[in-house]
Amino acid sequence: MKRNYVILLVFALIVITAAEMIGTQSLSFGAFSISLLPLAFAILITMILGLPVIRKGFLKKIYSKANVQFSSKYLIFIMLPLMARYGADVAPQLREILNVGWVFIAQELGNLGTVLFGLPVALLIGLRREAIGATLGLGREGELAYISEKYTLESKEGQGVLSLYIIGTLFGTIFFSLIAPIMLDIGFRVEALAMASGVGSASMMTASSATLIERVPEMESTILGYAAASQLLTSFLGTFTMVFLAVPLQRFLYNKLTKTKKQPEVPADVRAAE
Amino acid sequence: MSVQLNKYFKYGLVILLSMALILFTQQIKLLKDPASTPVEWMTIMGLLTLWLFSMIGVLLSDLMKKTPIKILQEFPMLGWVAVTSLFLCMFFDFFVEAIGYVDFLAITTPILTFAGISVVDRLVDLRKTSWKVGIVAVFVFTGTYVGSALLSELGLFLANK
Repeated sequence: MKRNYVILLVFALIVITAAEMIGTQSLSFGAFSISLLPLAFAILITMILGLPVIRKGFLKKIYSKANVQFSSKYLIFIMLPLMARYGADVAPQLREILNVGWVFIAQELGNLGTVLFGLPVALLIGLRREAIGATLGLGREGELAYISEKYTLESKEGQGVLSLYIIGTLFGTIFFSLIAPIMLDIGFRVEALAMASGVGSASMMTASSATLIERVPEMESTILGYAAASQLLTSFLGTFTMVFLAVPLQRFLYNKLTKTKKQPEVPADVRAAE
Repeated sequence: MSVQLNKYFKYGLVILLSMALILFTQQIKLLKDPASTPVEWMTIMGLLTLWLFSMIGVLLSDLMKKTPIKILQEFPMLGWVAVTSLFLCMFFDFFVEAIGYVDFLAITTPILTFAGISVVDRLVDLRKTSWKVGIVAVFVFTGTYVGSALLSELGLFLANK
């Protein structure tokens, strides 16, 4: 049992060393350039080595049930120091942040973008009730709790939110380390993107803000302060935004869009449920 | 009571492990790039500060679960740690200074290492999700980010910042 944890620890040290030695890699695509930080390599390496096809022999010992369980049970505690660090980033800038406090509150409404962008697309490609669960929000714990309470997780709405939860858990970090620099290249201000980083998931916020820092290092304290403040606000207001704004907006849009098209329930719907 | 103590002892150890990993990562960063954040005595002080704030946040989160106010009960533990740190850092500059000696990115690599390990058994669940939700996810994630960025941009413009 103890030996198991030692293996896990040594493995973690090796992965960290590898990720840090790869360092930050920048790739350019025309006008856009993205940078992958060691944190992205760390999650990529551990996920790829954990793929069932690759997880053979000694790797099976590393990814033992006990070790995977340990990691998911205590991940939140391993993350706590990061949160403590964010507090120290907000404190010195609190006055400045409160000065534009209304902007922070206003941009919380931007989280409705999940419904506005996501729902039309979901309906267009033939999702129906799954779309309710998959577009209500980022599909983190808040949405999961709401949907499971209202529809249960076995329902189609529940499947929608669960799928989004799984996808977000697996690819959220990578996604946000890619989108942040692209938005910067489009011409958004780094302060605005820092605020937008507070999407409600700590790892996605960290991926986005860390990538922004990589691109604009002289703004490090502002980026961290703004991102953390916005994240905290999302943790406080997120539930209200969802229940009082996202839910009614989603219902309105859903009825409007499904009525005008007058499409019968598509069979694809049934297939997706399998 | 002893079960309680035992629980916090365990949490304390895990957070200590996290500290050790951060220190290790910062040292490796230094080997790769000698110009990155150095490892000094203040780094240790900074790490101890992070540990202390984390523990206070954990206790606070458990205490708040006993209050009758729903929003306080449901506020996540991660949030309580950030609030604790924010509050104490406002009153004691020393904390801000010490934490500044801990490299930000060195905190993130160990976390994502364990995040990766923790999700591997869910990789098979991907088969249960439809590719359609995969497409929707891209728009959902982009939607919240772009939505907030547009409003922030507009807000900062109006605030003349």
